[in-house]
Amino acid sequence: MNRLLVVFLSLLVGSVFAHTNEHANLGKQASSIKASGKVFHQSISIIRRMHPEFLHHKRDKTLRQGVRTDEYSLKGCVSCHANKNKTNNQYHSVDKKGQFCSDCHQQVGVSLDCFSCHRTTPKEGFL
Amino acid sequence: MNKTLNRRDFIKTTSAATIGVATVASGITLTTFASANKVPVTNEKRWGMLIDTNKLTEADIDGMVSACQQEQGWGSEVHSTGAQRPDWIKKLKVKDKATGKISNLALMCQHCEEPPCVDVCPTNASMKREDGIVLVDKHLCIGCRYCMMACPYDARSFVHETLSNQKEHMPRGKGTVEACTMCVHKVDKGEAPACVVSVNSDAVIFGDLYDASSQISQTLKTVQSTQIRADLNLNTGVRYSGI
Ligand code: HEC
Ligand code: HEC
Ligand code: HEC
Repeated sequence: MNRLLVVFLSLLVGSVFAHTNEHANLGKQASSIKASGKVFHQSISIIRRMHPEFLHHKRDKTLRQGVRTDEYSLKGCVSCHANKNKTNNQYHSVDKKGQFCSDCHQQVGVSLDCFSCHRTTPKEGFL
Repeated sequence: MNKTLNRRDFIKTTSAATIGVATVASGITLTTFASANKVPVTNEKRWGMLIDTNKLTEADIDGMVSACQQEQGWGSEVHSTGAQRPDWIKKLKVKDKATGKISNLALMCQHCEEPPCVDVCPTNASMKREDGIVLVDKHLCIGCRYCMMACPYDARSFVHETLSNQKEHMPRGKGTVEACTMCVHKVDKGEAPACVVSVNSDAVIFGDLYDASSQISQTLKTVQSTQIRADLNLNTGVRYSGI
Protein backbone atom coordinates (compact mmCIF):
# COMPACT_ATOMS: atom_id res chain seq x y z
CA MET A 1 0.00 0.00 0.00
CA ASN A 2 2.76 2.40 1.03
CA ARG A 3 4.71 1.53 -2.06
CA LEU A 4 1.67 2.27 -4.16
CA LEU A 5 1.28 5.61 -2.48
CA VAL A 6 4.90 6.48 -3.21
CA VAL A 7 4.49 5.55 -6.82
CA PHE A 8 1.30 7.57 -7.00
CA LEU A 9 2.83 10.57 -5.28
CA SER A 10 5.94 10.55 -7.40
CA LEU A 11 3.81 10.37 -10.50
CA LEU A 12 1.80 13.30 -9.25
CA VAL A 13 4.85 15.34 -8.34
CA GLY A 14 6.43 14.34 -11.63
CA SER A 15 3.49 15.58 -13.59
CA VAL A 16 3.41 18.84 -11.67
CA PHE A 17 7.07 19.42 -12.43
CA ALA A 18 6.52 18.35 -15.99
CA HIS A 19 3.93 21.05 -16.26
CA THR A 20 5.78 23.74 -14.40
CA ASN A 21 9.07 23.32 -16.19
CA GLU A 22 8.04 22.48 -19.70
CA HIS A 23 6.35 25.09 -21.75
CA ALA A 24 6.61 23.76 -25.26
CA ASN A 25 4.70 26.82 -26.41
CA LEU A 26 6.54 29.48 -24.43
CA GLY A 27 6.76 31.66 -27.53
CA LYS A 28 9.39 32.40 -30.14
CA GLN A 29 11.27 35.20 -28.37
CA ALA A 30 10.72 33.81 -24.90
CA SER A 31 12.01 30.37 -25.92
CA SER A 32 15.20 31.76 -27.35
CA ILE A 33 15.74 33.87 -24.24
CA LYS A 34 15.23 30.82 -22.07
CA ALA A 35 17.46 28.70 -24.29
CA SER A 36 20.24 31.24 -23.97
CA GLY A 37 20.04 30.74 -20.21
CA LYS A 38 19.02 34.31 -19.44
CA VAL A 39 16.17 35.35 -17.18
CA PHE A 40 13.58 37.91 -18.06
CA HIS A 41 11.02 37.71 -15.28
CA GLN A 42 12.82 38.08 -11.97
CA SER A 43 10.69 35.35 -10.48
CA ILE A 44 8.55 32.85 -12.32
CA SER A 45 6.23 32.35 -9.37
CA ILE A 46 5.62 36.09 -9.11
CA ILE A 47 4.80 36.57 -12.77
CA ARG A 48 2.55 33.51 -12.68
CA ARG A 49 0.64 34.76 -9.71
CA MET A 50 0.73 38.51 -10.13
CA HIS A 51 0.46 39.15 -13.87
CA PRO A 52 -3.24 40.09 -13.76
CA GLU A 53 -2.49 42.83 -11.20
CA PHE A 54 0.58 44.02 -13.09
CA LEU A 55 -1.38 44.25 -16.31
CA HIS A 56 -4.34 46.05 -14.75
CA HIS A 57 -2.04 48.54 -13.08
CA LYS A 58 -0.07 49.09 -16.24
CA ARG A 59 -3.11 49.67 -18.41
CA ASP A 60 -4.34 52.52 -16.19
CA LYS A 61 -0.88 54.03 -16.03
CA THR A 62 -0.54 53.98 -19.80
CA LEU A 63 -3.99 54.96 -20.90
CA ARG A 64 -4.90 57.51 -18.24
CA GLN A 65 -1.47 58.94 -17.41
CA GLY A 66 0.54 58.41 -20.55
CA VAL A 67 3.28 56.34 -18.91
CA ARG A 68 4.71 54.27 -21.72
CA THR A 69 7.41 52.06 -20.28
CA ASP A 70 8.02 48.49 -21.44
CA GLU A 71 7.50 46.89 -18.08
CA TYR A 72 4.35 44.75 -17.96
CA SER A 73 3.17 46.09 -21.27
CA LEU A 74 0.61 43.81 -22.88
CA LYS A 75 2.25 44.44 -26.24
CA GLY A 76 5.43 43.07 -24.66
CA CYS A 77 3.77 39.86 -23.43
CA VAL A 78 2.42 39.25 -26.92
CA SER A 79 5.69 40.03 -28.73
CA CYS A 80 7.66 37.64 -26.55
CA HIS A 81 5.17 34.86 -25.99
CA ALA A 82 3.71 34.45 -29.49
CA ASN A 83 4.69 31.27 -31.35
CA LYS A 84 5.42 31.01 -35.02
CA ASN A 85 3.83 28.45 -37.29
CA LYS A 86 6.87 26.76 -38.82
CA THR A 87 5.19 25.90 -42.11
CA ASN A 88 3.84 29.28 -43.15
CA ASN A 89 6.08 31.45 -40.97
CA GLN A 90 3.06 33.29 -39.53
CA TYR A 91 2.53 34.01 -35.84
CA HIS A 92 -0.18 32.16 -33.94
CA SER A 93 -2.53 34.34 -31.88
CA VAL A 94 -1.52 34.15 -28.22
CA ASP A 95 -5.13 33.57 -27.26
CA LYS A 96 -5.73 30.71 -29.70
CA LYS A 97 -6.32 27.25 -28.26
CA GLY A 98 -3.09 25.65 -27.11
CA GLN A 99 -1.06 28.86 -27.24
CA PHE A 100 0.87 30.31 -24.32
CA CYS A 101 -1.69 32.57 -22.64
CA SER A 102 -4.80 30.54 -23.43
CA ASP A 103 -3.33 27.14 -22.66
CA CYS A 104 -2.78 27.96 -19.02
CA HIS A 105 -5.96 30.01 -18.70
CA GLN A 106 -7.99 27.13 -19.98
CA GLN A 107 -6.48 24.84 -17.38
CA VAL A 108 -7.27 27.23 -14.57
CA GLY A 109 -10.64 28.22 -16.00
CA VAL A 110 -10.01 31.90 -16.69
CA SER A 111 -11.34 33.67 -19.76
CA LEU A 112 -10.11 37.07 -20.91
CA ASP A 113 -11.76 39.73 -23.02
CA CYS A 114 -8.50 41.63 -23.59
CA PHE A 115 -7.93 40.16 -27.01
CA SER A 116 -11.21 41.34 -28.47
CA CYS A 117 -9.39 44.67 -28.76
CA HIS A 118 -5.69 44.00 -28.28
CA ARG A 119 -3.63 42.63 -31.11
CA THR A 120 -2.88 38.94 -30.56
CA THR A 121 0.32 38.71 -32.60
CA PRO A 122 3.47 40.84 -32.62
CA LYS A 123 3.07 43.96 -34.72
CA GLU A 124 3.42 43.90 -38.50
CA GLY A 125 7.00 43.51 -39.61
CA PHE A 126 8.16 42.05 -36.29
CA LEU A 127 10.72 39.34 -37.08
CA MET B 1 20.49 59.41 -13.16
CA ASN B 2 22.36 62.32 -11.65
CA LYS B 3 21.49 62.53 -7.94
CA THR B 4 21.58 66.32 -7.85
CA LEU B 5 18.61 66.71 -10.15
CA ASN B 6 15.60 68.18 -8.44
CA ARG B 7 12.16 66.77 -9.08
CA ARG B 8 11.22 69.19 -11.83
CA ASP B 9 14.45 68.62 -13.78
CA PHE B 10 13.89 64.93 -13.38
CA ILE B 11 10.44 65.21 -14.89
CA LYS B 12 11.73 67.38 -17.68
CA THR B 13 14.53 65.08 -18.62
CA THR B 14 12.75 61.80 -18.27
CA SER B 15 9.61 62.86 -20.05
CA ALA B 16 11.60 64.06 -23.01
CA ALA B 17 11.14 61.40 -25.65
CA THR B 18 13.99 58.99 -25.95
CA ILE B 19 13.65 56.77 -28.95
CA GLY B 20 15.94 54.01 -27.91
CA VAL B 21 16.35 50.35 -28.34
CA ALA B 22 15.84 48.40 -25.17
CA THR B 23 18.13 45.49 -24.66
CA VAL B 24 16.76 42.55 -22.80
CA ALA B 25 18.94 40.63 -20.42
CA SER B 26 19.70 38.08 -23.10
CA GLY B 27 21.13 40.62 -25.47
CA ILE B 28 18.17 40.20 -27.77
CA THR B 29 17.09 43.65 -28.86
CA LEU B 30 13.45 44.52 -29.10
CA THR B 31 13.00 47.56 -31.27
CA THR B 32 9.26 47.52 -30.57
CA PHE B 33 10.01 48.66 -27.06
CA ALA B 34 11.56 51.98 -28.01
CA SER B 35 10.98 53.69 -24.71
CA ALA B 36 9.06 56.89 -24.28
CA ASN B 37 7.24 58.74 -21.53
CA LYS B 38 8.23 57.37 -18.14
CA VAL B 39 6.30 59.73 -15.88
CA PRO B 40 2.63 60.74 -15.83
CA VAL B 41 1.76 63.63 -18.12
CA THR B 42 1.04 66.93 -16.36
CA ASN B 43 -1.16 69.95 -16.88
CA GLU B 44 1.90 72.07 -17.61
CA LYS B 45 1.16 71.35 -21.25
CA ARG B 46 -2.02 71.50 -23.26
CA TRP B 47 -1.92 69.95 -26.69
CA GLY B 48 -3.79 71.72 -29.44
CA MET B 49 -4.17 72.08 -33.15
CA LEU B 50 -4.77 75.03 -35.44
CA ILE B 51 -6.36 74.38 -38.83
CA ASP B 52 -6.17 77.14 -41.44
CA THR B 53 -9.12 76.52 -43.75
CA ASN B 54 -7.81 79.01 -46.31
CA LYS B 55 -4.64 76.98 -46.81
CA LEU B 56 -6.18 73.53 -46.36
CA THR B 57 -7.22 72.01 -49.69
CA GLU B 58 -9.84 69.31 -50.14
CA ALA B 59 -7.06 66.94 -51.15
CA ASP B 60 -5.27 67.78 -47.89
CA ILE B 61 -8.38 66.81 -45.95
CA ASP B 62 -8.73 63.52 -47.82
CA GLY B 63 -5.08 62.90 -47.02
CA MET B 64 -5.69 63.59 -43.34
CA VAL B 65 -8.59 61.14 -43.28
CA SER B 66 -6.62 58.35 -44.89
CA ALA B 67 -3.56 59.04 -42.72
CA CYS B 68 -5.80 58.64 -39.67
CA GLN B 69 -7.31 55.42 -41.00
CA GLN B 70 -3.89 53.99 -41.70
CA GLU B 71 -2.40 55.00 -38.39
CA GLN B 72 -5.31 53.85 -36.23
CA GLY B 73 -6.67 51.02 -38.33
CA TRP B 74 -10.32 52.06 -38.78
CA GLY B 75 -12.36 52.33 -41.96
CA SER B 76 -12.41 48.75 -43.23
CA GLU B 77 -15.39 47.58 -41.20
CA VAL B 78 -17.34 45.38 -43.59
CA HIS B 79 -20.40 44.44 -41.59
CA SER B 80 -21.42 47.94 -40.51
CA THR B 81 -23.91 50.07 -42.38
CA GLY B 82 -23.06 53.60 -43.48
CA ALA B 83 -24.21 55.29 -40.31
CA GLN B 84 -22.57 52.66 -38.14
CA ARG B 85 -19.13 52.98 -39.68
CA PRO B 86 -16.49 54.67 -37.56
CA ASP B 87 -15.64 58.22 -38.48
CA TRP B 88 -12.77 59.57 -36.42
CA ILE B 89 -12.18 62.53 -38.70
CA LYS B 90 -14.35 63.84 -41.49
CA LYS B 91 -14.45 66.40 -44.25
CA LEU B 92 -17.02 69.10 -43.72
CA LYS B 93 -18.21 71.84 -46.07
CA VAL B 94 -19.50 74.93 -44.35
CA LYS B 95 -21.20 77.81 -46.11
CA ASP B 96 -21.55 81.31 -44.80
CA LYS B 97 -25.21 82.04 -45.60
CA ALA B 98 -24.63 85.77 -45.76
CA THR B 99 -21.67 85.81 -48.13
CA GLY B 100 -21.90 82.41 -49.78
CA LYS B 101 -18.28 81.66 -48.88
CA ILE B 102 -17.64 77.93 -48.73
CA SER B 103 -14.90 76.50 -46.53
CA ASN B 104 -13.75 72.91 -46.22
CA LEU B 105 -12.66 71.75 -42.86
CA ALA B 106 -11.45 68.63 -41.15
CA LEU B 107 -13.55 67.89 -38.09
CA MET B 108 -12.54 65.50 -35.36
CA CYS B 109 -12.66 65.42 -31.56
CA GLN B 110 -12.05 69.02 -30.52
CA HIS B 111 -10.38 68.02 -27.25
CA CYS B 112 -12.45 70.41 -25.16
CA GLU B 113 -11.23 71.75 -21.87
CA GLU B 114 -14.78 71.25 -20.56
CA PRO B 115 -15.79 68.11 -22.45
CA PRO B 116 -19.52 67.28 -22.35
CA CYS B 117 -18.67 63.63 -23.12
CA VAL B 118 -16.75 63.41 -19.85
CA ASP B 119 -19.59 65.01 -17.88
CA VAL B 120 -22.14 62.44 -18.98
CA CYS B 121 -20.07 59.27 -18.75
CA PRO B 122 -21.43 56.96 -16.02
CA THR B 123 -18.22 54.91 -15.66
CA ASN B 124 -15.44 57.46 -15.92
CA ALA B 125 -14.36 55.88 -19.19
CA SER B 126 -14.71 59.16 -21.05
CA MET B 127 -11.81 61.15 -19.70
CA LYS B 128 -9.45 64.05 -20.19
CA ARG B 129 -5.75 63.53 -19.65
CA GLU B 130 -3.87 66.13 -17.66
CA ASP B 131 -2.38 67.47 -20.88
CA GLY B 132 -5.83 68.12 -22.37
CA ILE B 133 -6.20 65.09 -24.64
CA VAL B 134 -9.73 63.68 -24.41
CA LEU B 135 -9.90 59.89 -24.61
CA VAL B 136 -12.14 56.89 -24.10
CA ASP B 137 -10.69 54.47 -21.57
CA LYS B 138 -12.13 51.46 -23.35
CA HIS B 139 -11.32 49.28 -20.36
CA LEU B 140 -14.12 51.05 -18.52
CA CYS B 141 -16.45 51.72 -21.46
CA ILE B 142 -19.76 49.89 -21.24
CA GLY B 143 -20.96 51.07 -24.65
CA CYS B 144 -23.88 53.18 -23.44
CA ARG B 145 -23.09 55.91 -25.99
CA TYR B 146 -24.23 58.82 -23.84
CA CYS B 147 -20.99 60.55 -24.80
CA MET B 148 -21.85 60.26 -28.47
CA MET B 149 -25.12 62.04 -27.85
CA ALA B 150 -23.51 64.69 -25.68
CA CYS B 151 -20.79 65.60 -28.19
CA PRO B 152 -21.74 68.72 -30.16
CA TYR B 153 -19.26 67.77 -32.91
CA ASP B 154 -20.51 64.23 -33.57
CA ALA B 155 -16.90 63.22 -33.14
CA ARG B 156 -17.29 59.80 -31.58
CA SER B 157 -18.04 56.42 -33.13
CA PHE B 158 -19.22 53.09 -31.82
CA VAL B 159 -17.75 49.79 -32.96
CA HIS B 160 -20.59 47.61 -34.21
CA GLU B 161 -18.70 44.51 -35.27
CA THR B 162 -16.06 42.04 -34.17
CA LEU B 163 -12.61 43.11 -35.31
CA SER B 164 -9.27 41.39 -35.69
CA ASN B 165 -5.71 42.27 -36.64
CA GLN B 166 -5.89 45.66 -34.93
CA LYS B 167 -2.90 47.97 -34.77
CA GLU B 168 -0.68 47.12 -31.84
CA HIS B 169 -0.91 50.64 -30.44
CA MET B 170 -4.66 51.00 -31.05
CA PRO B 171 -6.71 48.20 -29.54
CA ARG B 172 -10.30 48.46 -30.80
CA GLY B 173 -13.26 46.20 -30.19
CA LYS B 174 -16.96 45.70 -30.59
CA GLY B 175 -19.22 47.39 -28.08
CA THR B 176 -17.04 50.34 -27.15
CA VAL B 177 -16.87 54.00 -28.19
CA GLU B 178 -13.85 55.45 -29.92
CA ALA B 179 -12.64 58.75 -31.35
CA CYS B 180 -9.61 60.78 -32.33
CA THR B 181 -6.90 60.30 -29.69
CA MET B 182 -4.77 63.11 -31.08
CA CYS B 183 -2.45 60.16 -31.76
CA VAL B 184 -1.60 60.06 -28.08
CA HIS B 185 0.73 57.09 -28.68
CA LYS B 186 2.83 59.28 -30.96
CA VAL B 187 2.55 62.45 -28.89
CA ASP B 188 3.91 60.55 -25.88
CA LYS B 189 6.98 59.75 -27.98
CA GLY B 190 7.43 63.38 -28.97
CA GLU B 191 5.90 62.98 -32.42
CA ALA B 192 3.03 64.86 -34.08
CA PRO B 193 -0.36 63.29 -34.91
CA ALA B 194 -0.59 61.38 -38.20
CA CYS B 195 -3.07 63.80 -39.82
CA VAL B 196 -0.83 66.78 -39.06
CA VAL B 197 2.18 65.03 -40.55
CA SER B 198 0.23 64.15 -43.70
CA VAL B 199 -0.32 67.80 -44.65
CA ASN B 200 2.62 69.28 -46.52
CA SER B 201 1.90 72.95 -45.87
CA ASP B 202 1.54 74.69 -42.53
CA ALA B 203 -2.25 74.53 -42.89
CA VAL B 204 -2.37 72.36 -39.78
CA ILE B 205 -0.18 73.18 -36.80
CA PHE B 206 0.14 70.99 -33.73
CA GLY B 207 1.71 72.02 -30.46
CA ASP B 208 1.55 73.07 -26.84
CA LEU B 209 -0.98 75.85 -26.27
CA TYR B 210 0.61 76.72 -22.91
CA ASP B 211 4.08 77.21 -24.36
CA ALA B 212 4.19 80.86 -25.45
CA SER B 213 7.10 80.19 -27.79
CA SER B 214 5.52 77.27 -29.64
CA GLN B 215 4.56 77.79 -33.28
CA ILE B 216 0.90 77.24 -32.49
CA SER B 217 0.83 79.87 -29.71
CA GLN B 218 2.75 82.33 -31.85
CA THR B 219 0.35 81.86 -34.74
CA LEU B 220 -2.74 82.07 -32.55
CA LYS B 221 -1.40 85.38 -31.27
CA THR B 222 -1.23 86.89 -34.76
CA VAL B 223 -4.12 85.43 -36.76
CA GLN B 224 -7.88 85.56 -36.27
CA SER B 225 -9.02 82.13 -35.14
CA THR B 226 -12.21 80.64 -33.80
CA GLN B 227 -13.62 77.62 -32.05
CA ILE B 228 -16.48 75.77 -33.67
CA ARG B 229 -19.59 76.36 -31.54
CA ALA B 230 -17.64 78.86 -29.43
CA ASP B 231 -21.00 79.74 -27.89
CA LEU B 232 -20.86 76.53 -25.86
CA ASN B 233 -17.78 77.74 -23.95
CA LEU B 234 -16.05 74.38 -24.16
CA ASN B 235 -12.63 75.92 -24.82
CA THR B 236 -11.62 73.50 -27.52
CA GLY B 237 -8.05 72.40 -28.14
CA VAL B 238 -8.64 72.37 -31.90
CA ARG B 239 -8.96 75.85 -33.37
CA TYR B 240 -9.76 77.06 -36.88
CA SER B 241 -8.75 80.12 -38.83
CA GLY B 242 -10.23 81.35 -42.10
CA ILE B 243 -13.85 80.62 -41.25
C1 HEC C 1 -12.52 47.60 -25.62
C2 HEC C 1 -11.15 47.52 -26.03
C3 HEC C 1 -10.13 47.02 -25.01
C4 HEC C 1 -10.20 45.88 -24.23
C5 HEC C 1 -11.31 44.84 -24.17
C6 HEC C 1 -8.98 45.84 -23.46
N1 HEC C 1 -8.19 46.91 -23.79
FE1 HEC C 1 -6.37 47.35 -23.00
N2 HEC C 1 -6.24 49.01 -24.15
C7 HEC C 1 -7.22 49.47 -24.99
C8 HEC C 1 -6.82 50.76 -25.53
C9 HEC C 1 -7.62 51.61 -26.51
C10 HEC C 1 -5.55 51.05 -24.98
C11 HEC C 1 -4.70 52.32 -25.22
C12 HEC C 1 -3.58 52.08 -26.16
C13 HEC C 1 -2.62 53.24 -26.21
O1 HEC C 1 -2.95 54.36 -25.84
O2 HEC C 1 -1.49 52.98 -26.60
C14 HEC C 1 -5.23 49.93 -24.12
C15 HEC C 1 -4.04 49.85 -23.42
C16 HEC C 1 -3.72 48.81 -22.56
C17 HEC C 1 -2.45 48.68 -21.89
C18 HEC C 1 -1.28 49.61 -22.03
C19 HEC C 1 -0.58 49.38 -23.37
C20 HEC C 1 0.20 48.09 -23.42
O3 HEC C 1 0.19 47.40 -24.46
O4 HEC C 1 0.82 47.76 -22.42
C21 HEC C 1 -2.52 47.53 -21.13
C22 HEC C 1 -1.44 46.96 -20.23
C23 HEC C 1 -3.82 46.95 -21.34
N3 HEC C 1 -4.52 47.74 -22.22
C24 HEC C 1 -4.25 45.80 -20.74
C25 HEC C 1 -5.47 45.22 -20.99
C26 HEC C 1 -5.92 44.00 -20.35
C27 HEC C 1 -5.12 43.19 -19.34
C28 HEC C 1 -7.16 43.73 -20.84
C29 HEC C 1 -8.07 42.54 -20.48
C30 HEC C 1 -8.35 42.39 -19.07
C31 HEC C 1 -7.49 44.78 -21.79
N4 HEC C 1 -6.46 45.68 -21.85
C32 HEC C 1 -8.68 44.85 -22.54
C33 HEC C 1 -8.40 48.83 -25.31
C34 HEC C 1 -8.86 47.66 -24.73
C1 HEC D 1 11.37 39.81 -23.26
C2 HEC D 1 10.55 38.65 -23.35
C3 HEC D 1 9.36 38.49 -22.39
C4 HEC D 1 8.34 39.38 -22.17
C5 HEC D 1 8.20 40.81 -22.70
C6 HEC D 1 7.42 38.72 -21.30
N1 HEC D 1 7.87 37.46 -20.99
FE1 HEC D 1 6.92 36.08 -19.85
N2 HEC D 1 8.51 34.82 -20.01
C7 HEC D 1 9.65 35.07 -20.76
C8 HEC D 1 10.56 33.97 -20.60
C9 HEC D 1 11.95 33.85 -21.24
C10 HEC D 1 9.92 33.03 -19.75
C11 HEC D 1 10.45 31.68 -19.31
C12 HEC D 1 11.14 31.81 -17.99
C13 HEC D 1 11.63 30.47 -17.52
O1 HEC D 1 10.89 29.48 -17.66
O2 HEC D 1 12.75 30.45 -17.02
C14 HEC D 1 8.65 33.60 -19.39
C15 HEC D 1 7.72 33.00 -18.54
C16 HEC D 1 6.48 33.51 -18.26
C17 HEC D 1 5.49 32.87 -17.41
C18 HEC D 1 5.67 31.56 -16.67
C19 HEC D 1 5.32 30.41 -17.55
C20 HEC D 1 5.39 29.11 -16.80
O3 HEC D 1 4.36 28.74 -16.26
O4 HEC D 1 6.45 28.53 -16.77
C21 HEC D 1 4.38 33.67 -17.40
C22 HEC D 1 3.06 33.41 -16.66
C23 HEC D 1 4.68 34.82 -18.21
N3 HEC D 1 5.96 34.67 -18.71
C24 HEC D 1 3.80 35.85 -18.43
C25 HEC D 1 4.14 37.03 -19.05
C26 HEC D 1 3.27 38.18 -19.11
C27 HEC D 1 1.88 38.25 -18.53
C28 HEC D 1 3.97 39.14 -19.77
C29 HEC D 1 3.53 40.58 -20.05
C30 HEC D 1 3.29 41.38 -18.87
C31 HEC D 1 5.25 38.59 -20.15
N4 HEC D 1 5.32 37.30 -19.69
C32 HEC D 1 6.23 39.28 -20.86
C33 HEC D 1 9.89 36.18 -21.55
C34 HEC D 1 9.07 37.29 -21.63
C1 HEC E 1 1.03 29.65 -15.71
C2 HEC E 1 -0.33 29.91 -16.07
C3 HEC E 1 -0.65 31.23 -16.80
C4 HEC E 1 -0.08 31.72 -17.93
C5 HEC E 1 1.02 31.10 -18.76
C6 HEC E 1 -0.75 32.96 -18.21
N1 HEC E 1 -1.71 33.20 -17.25
FE1 HEC E 1 -2.91 34.84 -17.14
N2 HEC E 1 -3.84 34.07 -15.52
C7 HEC E 1 -3.50 32.89 -14.89
C8 HEC E 1 -4.36 32.70 -13.73
C9 HEC E 1 -4.27 31.53 -12.73
C10 HEC E 1 -5.24 33.81 -13.69
C11 HEC E 1 -6.36 34.10 -12.67
C12 HEC E 1 -5.77 34.80 -11.51
C13 HEC E 1 -6.81 35.26 -10.53
O1 HEC E 1 -8.01 35.14 -10.83
O2 HEC E 1 -6.39 35.75 -9.49
C14 HEC E 1 -4.89 34.64 -14.83
C15 HEC E 1 -5.51 35.84 -15.12
C16 HEC E 1 -5.12 36.69 -16.14
C17 HEC E 1 -5.69 37.99 -16.37
C18 HEC E 1 -6.81 38.65 -15.58
C19 HEC E 1 -8.13 38.24 -16.17
C20 HEC E 1 -9.16 39.33 -16.09
O3 HEC E 1 -10.31 39.07 -16.51
O4 HEC E 1 -8.85 40.44 -15.65
C21 HEC E 1 -5.03 38.53 -17.44
C22 HEC E 1 -5.27 39.90 -18.05
C23 HEC E 1 -4.05 37.55 -17.87
N3 HEC E 1 -4.13 36.45 -17.06
C24 HEC E 1 -3.20 37.75 -18.95
C25 HEC E 1 -2.29 36.81 -19.39
C26 HEC E 1 -1.51 36.95 -20.59
C27 HEC E 1 -1.55 38.14 -21.53
C28 HEC E 1 -0.74 35.83 -20.71
C29 HEC E 1 0.23 35.45 -21.80
C30 HEC E 1 1.35 36.36 -21.99
C31 HEC E 1 -1.03 34.99 -19.55
N4 HEC E 1 -1.99 35.63 -18.79
C32 HEC E 1 -0.45 33.76 -19.29
C33 HEC E 1 -2.52 32.00 -15.27
C34 HEC E 1 -1.69 32.15 -16.37
